[in-house]
Amino acid sequence: MNTFQVLGLAICGSFAIGVLLSMLHHRIGARVGVAWLLLWVTAGVAIARPELTVTVARALGIARGADLVFYFAILAMFIGFFAVYTKFRRVENDITTLVRQLTLREALDEHGPTEEPAHRVPDEEA
Amino acid sequence: MQGTGHSNMAVGSGGPGSGPNEPGPEAFVVIPAFNEATVIGGVVRELIAHDLNVVVVDDGSSDETAGEARKAGAIALRHALNRGQGAALQTGIDYCLSHGARILVTFDADGQHRSDDIPRLVRPVLDGTVDVVLGSRFLGTTENMPLRRSVLLKLAVLFTRLHSRARVTDVHNGLRVFSRTAATKIKISQDRMAHASELIDQIVGSGLSYQEVPVHVRYTEYSRAKGQRASGALKILADYLLGDLTR
Repeated sequence: MNTFQVLGLAICGSFAIGVLLSMLHHRIGARVGVAWLLLWVTAGVAIARPELTVTVARALGIARGADLVFYFAILAMFIGFFAVYTKFRRVENDITTLVRQLTLREALDEHGPTEEPAHRVPDEEA
Repeated sequence: MQGTGHSNMAVGSGGPGSGPNEPGPEAFVVIPAFNEATVIGGVVRELIAHDLNVVVVDDGSSDETAGEARKAGAIALRHALNRGQGAALQTGIDYCLSHGARILVTFDADGQHRSDDIPRLVRPVLDGTVDVVLGSRFLGTTENMPLRRSVLLKLAVLFTRLHSRARVTDVHNGLRVFSRTAATKIKISQDRMAHASELIDQIVGSGLSYQEVPVHVRYTEYSRAKGQRASGALKILADYLLGDLTR
């Protein structure tokens, strides 16, 4: 085992343990935890046994193991981008809801009581 | 042009106070405004002359938009942060519905719409012919519209026709009229400019009947400076498509 493999396995192992601890302390959900565990274990296996990536690549019709890793990295990047974007939009919508409620509350203080609100606020929908 | 199975109807040319189908005291105009202090007063005064309740939603402006709107006689609401035109519209709609609005008109703050068009737009909603009336500059007339703006708007129409299957000729026209029922069904989640396409989507998706009515849109130097550029149009498209995916 070369130096890169030792370092790589140590990093992957640390992250995998971190994910396990987060799952145990309920800081992340089971599904998200299992997905992250799979990612780090796969990365660890690819580092420890690089010839396996060649076998998998050939089974998928790709010539080189490095290409397989590259394609998966691109795919993972897009999935990551989409996940972050989705989260970003949720946060943006939450900020808008908050700003709107503050605005309508100010208006209520200024212009008097209202009828039933037309749209329920998210916590009422839950 | 009309949706959900109604036949086209003739649109009259009434003015304010021209008959029993006037907007009336339960008609509210919502104006989303961002840094429009120099023009908002004039726009509000023009609308108030038509006996309309005017609600200006100042979307976190750094100038005196809210103060000027209030001085001109509008109810001025103020977003503490800039959240975009779609967000401001929804705030205004929520406010109007909670204050007993039966008819809701949306109107741009930059003075490009003509208040005289409102009675003609309100009439089909007031008499129950349709739930929503959309103003169309391409059925009506324009003044000093730049060619590039016209091309971008027509591309937006083409996209909406293909994507939403809505029979419309103008998507990004801020002059619209909603019945109370329609406004209650609409929930704008696109905070920025993509709300215009989202509105059409929701109108079609909710099965609301709609009709387009010709309006006049005037482009002043001021409104041209405030309008969307080509890069902005791409951002609107990206917001709309990604918003669709993440909904």
